[in-house]
Amino acid sequence: MTPDISHYVFIGSVMFVLGVFTMTSRRNAIYILMGAELVVNAAALNFVAFARYRGEDLSGQMFAVFIIVLAAAEAAVALGIVLQLFQHFPTIDVSKSNTLSE
Amino acid sequence: MEGFTFYFFAALALVGSAMVALLPRLVHSAFALVMALSGIAGLYWTLGADFLGAVQLLVYVGGIMILFLYGVMLTPKESSRWNLQSILFPGLLCVLPLAVLLHLGWTGVEAAVEFLPTLPEPEPTTKTMGKWFLDREKYLVPFELASIVLLVALVGSVYLARRRKEV
Repeated sequence: MTPDISHYVFIGSVMFVLGVFTMTSRRNAIYILMGAELVVNAAALNFVAFARYRGEDLSGQMFAVFIIVLAAAEAAVALGIVLQLFQHFPTIDVSKSNTLSE
Repeated sequence: MEGFTFYFFAALALVGSAMVALLPRLVHSAFALVMALSGIAGLYWTLGADFLGAVQLLVYVGGIMILFLYGVMLTPKESSRWNLQSILFPGLLCVLPLAVLLHLGWTGVEAAVEFLPTLPEPEPTTKTMGKWFLDREKYLVPFELASIVLLVALVGSVYLARRRKEV
């Protein structure tokens, strides 16, 4: 069976949900970042899959490039924040860094 | 042949992301993320997006994964082993969107499949994308804005990650 667009949409849906599951089930800040990467990649895959059916129009692929750029910037800044969190608290468990609520 | 490469990369992406979500050790999950992102790069190639697949491998698998591994090394080892209680709520939270997404994706796409144009052979995209990036009518402004964002993120993350002086 040759793959058509529904296969790509299926992969995108499953990856998105697995990313959301990773973000909600873990307390570790780095896990939450990895879940966000999965979500972002699922969205980019959908952009590229639908762009395939637009022939000469490469806008979907251009969007995916910008998604990758912004995800790289996000990962760098977020890991800097995680390191600061670790220096301020002795842990990177996000449920224990709650001094603002006390 | 086309079907085989597609299913190989699809399995790589899906199994990799499932391992990210389920493995108990952080380092194992980080390497499973390598697997998932490489699978996505392969899927880009099966979609005819050659430049994008290469960018995905270079930036994600090469760059962002190094960052994640640094993050793993510089932070304490913590048990993130989940038990049934801790995944019950997230699991229930995820079942509904999964069902809705799969249903929407399946019915919507099934309805649209008969209107799909016949696919042309994929052509190399690098030249066109390079022209579009520098075309004032197309993506020149987002391109320059992205470079500013990257510069700000570079300076900002260096500032954030420096070790503060002991007071």
